[in-house]
Amino acid sequence: MFRVLVTKELKAILLSPRFVGTFMVGAVLILLSVYVGIQEYRAAVDHAQTSQLLSDQGLQEATSWMSASTRAYRAPDPMTIFVSGLAFDIGRWTPISTRTGVRLRHSLYSDEPMYAVFRFVDFSLIVVVVMSLFALLFTYDAVSGEREDGTLKLVFSHPVSRAHYLLAKASGAWLGLAAALAVPTALAVLMVVVYGIPLGWQDWLRLTLLLGLAALFCGSFVMIGLLLSACTRHSSVSFLTGLMVWVALTLIVPRIGVLTAGQLTNVPTVAEIQGQREAFARDQWDKFMRDGIGRWQGNTDSLGEEALLARIQTEDSLRRQVETNISDYETRQYADLRRKSERRERLALSLARLSPVSAFQIGAMTLAGTDLDMKPRFESAMDAYRAQFTDYVGQRQSESPGAGGMRIEFNSETGMKISNPRDAGALDISGLPKYVSPRFDLAPAVGSLALDFGVLALGLLGCLFGAVMLFSRYDVR
Amino acid sequence: MTDSPYLEAVALSKRYEDGVLALDRVSFGVRPGQIYAMLGANGAGKTTTINIFLNLIDPSEGEARIGGIVTHREPLEAKAHVAYVSENVMLYGNFTAMQNLEFFARLSGKHHYSRDDYHDILRRVGLSDDVHYKKVRGFSKGMRQKCGIAIAILKDAPAILLDEPTSGLDPKAGWEFCRLLESLRQEGKAILMSTHDIFRAKEIADTIAIMKEGRLVMEQPAGELAHLDLEKLYMEYMAGHNGPMPAEA
Repeated sequence: MFRVLVTKELKAILLSPRFVGTFMVGAVLILLSVYVGIQEYRAAVDHAQTSQLLSDQGLQEATSWMSASTRAYRAPDPMTIFVSGLAFDIGRWTPISTRTGVRLRHSLYSDEPMYAVFRFVDFSLIVVVVMSLFALLFTYDAVSGEREDGTLKLVFSHPVSRAHYLLAKASGAWLGLAAALAVPTALAVLMVVVYGIPLGWQDWLRLTLLLGLAALFCGSFVMIGLLLSACTRHSSVSFLTGLMVWVALTLIVPRIGVLTAGQLTNVPTVAEIQGQREAFARDQWDKFMRDGIGRWQGNTDSLGEEALLARIQTEDSLRRQVETNISDYETRQYADLRRKSERRERLALSLARLSPVSAFQIGAMTLAGTDLDMKPRFESAMDAYRAQFTDYVGQRQSESPGAGGMRIEFNSETGMKISNPRDAGALDISGLPKYVSPRFDLAPAVGSLALDFGVLALGLLGCLFGAVMLFSRYDVR
Repeated sequence: MTDSPYLEAVALSKRYEDGVLALDRVSFGVRPGQIYAMLGANGAGKTTTINIFLNLIDPSEGEARIGGIVTHREPLEAKAHVAYVSENVMLYGNFTAMQNLEFFARLSGKHHYSRDDYHDILRRVGLSDDVHYKKVRGFSKGMRQKCGIAIAILKDAPAILLDEPTSGLDPKAGWEFCRLLESLRQEGKAILMSTHDIFRAKEIADTIAIMKEGRLVMEQPAGELAHLDLEKLYMEYMAGHNGPMPAEA
C-alpha cells in the first residue's frame, strides 16, 4: 500500500511542471556556483603560493636576521567551493616577525569590495534559499490541494491509513526533489574531479556529510510544507503561510537568536575595555607618582653615587612593576571579554538553531571548516609558527652578532660614516621552518555536527508527528 | 438475493459541531444483488449517510455496517469491502485513464490486473480505446464518471456506494450507466445510491427511500410503487408529510 502511494506521488511529481522548473533552476545554479567556486579556489591557491614566494624572496633580501620578517598565508580549503562561510571575510595572511603579533588581515572582501557587494552564491546558499523553497513548493498543496481537487475523498474511500498517506506524500516529495537535484549535484562533483581539485578521503567524507545534511534539511522543509498543508483547507492559504514561515525561518529566527543572546549576556565592548584599561593605568601611574614624591623627599644631594644608583634601580623596578600590573590587568580584561564573547556566541548559535536554516548553515560551515572557529584555528597555528620563527631568528642572530641595524661611526679624520652591515650575501633561509597551514580535522567537530544533524532530524520528526496528528482529524470531504 | 443485508444503517444519527442534526436515527439495509435508492432534497442527509459508510465522518449515534463490520470501529477493514462513486468523480489530471485505473486498483490491493484488463474495463464502461492513454484533465464529466465506475468495478467489492452518480450526465450516458448498474446487480453487488433522479431511481432501484431533514420518511420496494405516481408522492413528502413510513403503516 505504502509503496503504491509513494510510486504514485513520485510519478505525479515527475510529470508536473514544478519538477521541470526545479531541475532547470537547480542545474543552472548548482553547476554555475561550483564552477565559480572552483575558479575562486584556484585563484586563491595561486595567490597564496605566489605571495608566499614573494615573501620568501623578501626575507632573503633582508639586511640581517634582526629585521627578518615573513608572511604566513592561509591555505585555501577545497570545501570552500561548496561552503564559503567566513572564508572570504577573514584575512588571508599575517605578518610573521619577532616584533608584531599574529593577526589575519586582508580578506578577499576587504581587498576587493566588489565581491562583497555581490556576495558569492555557493552550494550551501542554494540549499538554504532555493531548495527550501522548492521543498515547500512540492508539499504546500499535498493535502489541501488534493482536497480541493476532490481526489482526497476518492483515495480515502479505499483502505488507506492516514499516516501511510502522509508518509507517502513526504517520501514522494522528498524523492522528487532529490531526483531533480541529484543529477546537477553529481555533475558538479564530477566537475570538481575533472578540474583536478585535490580532495583527500576526509574531504570526500565531509562532502558526503554535507550532502547528507542538505538532504535532511530539505526533508525538514518537505515536512513543514506537509504540516501546513495538513492544517489548512485551501492550498492558497497553505502557500502564503508557507512563504511566511520560510521568511521567518530564513531571515528572522537566526537574527532574533543573535539579538536575544546579545540582550541576555552582558559583554563589554572593546572601547569599554580600553577605557577601563586607561583608567586603571592612570590610577597606577598616579599612585606611582604620589609614592615617588614621598620616596624622593629630602635631600638627595647627600646620597652617595652608589646609593643614588640603587635608588634609581629601585625606582626603575617599581616602574616596571606598574607596567606589568597594567599589562596583566589588560590581559585579564581581554581574557574575560573572550570568555563572555564565547558564551554569547554559544547562546546565539543555540537559539538560532531553532531554525533548520541556521542548523544547516552552522553544520555546513563546520564541515567546510569555514565557521567561527576558522580564524582562531589559523591564528593559533600561525602563533605556533611565529614562536618557531622567533626562536630560529634569535638563534641565527646570536650566531652573527655584528650584523644588523644601522651603524654610525664618527672619526675626527674621516668624518661620519653610516654603514648598513649585513650578513654575508643573501640570508640563508634554507633552515627556516616553513609554515604549514593546519589541515581540517573532522574529529573535534563531531559533537557540533551531531547537534546540527540532531536538530534537523528532531525538527523533521516533530513536523511529521504534528502533521499526522492534525491530519488524523482532517475533514477530507 | 440473500435476506441478510450487506450494507446496514442502524439508528444512524449525526449531529455536526455547529449543532445541525444531519441524520436522525436512520435505519435501513441493502442486501446483495439489491439496488437501494435514496431520494431527497439537498441537505436531506443522503451524502452524510454515504460519508458515514465511508468513515469520512463518524456517526454521533448508531452504526453503519458493511458486511457486518462497523465502519467507525474498523474503517480500513470496512473500506476494503466497498467501492464508491461520487457525484463528480475527480481523478489525477496529470495521469491518463489507464494510470488512474492502475493506481486505484493497486490502492484496493488488486495487483493482478493486466493492461488488457484495464482496457477491457474501460471499454465496458463505454470509454473508447482512443482515450485510454489520454490525460483525464481533458475529460468531460461523463467520461470521468465512467472512469469512476471503472475504478469501482476494478475494486470488485461486494458493496457499492453511489452519490448522485447520474447528476449532470446526458440521457445516453445515464441510460448506459443504468445498464452498468444492472449488470453489477446481477453480479450480486449490494448497491446504495443517493439520487435526485426520481425516474432513474424508479427504473433501476429495487427499493426506494425518501429522506427529509435527516430522517427516512418513506421506504418502499420499487415494485409496489410501480402503479403510483412517484413524483407526486415525492413532492407530497417534501411538502410536509412527516408521518410514519408507508412500509410501517
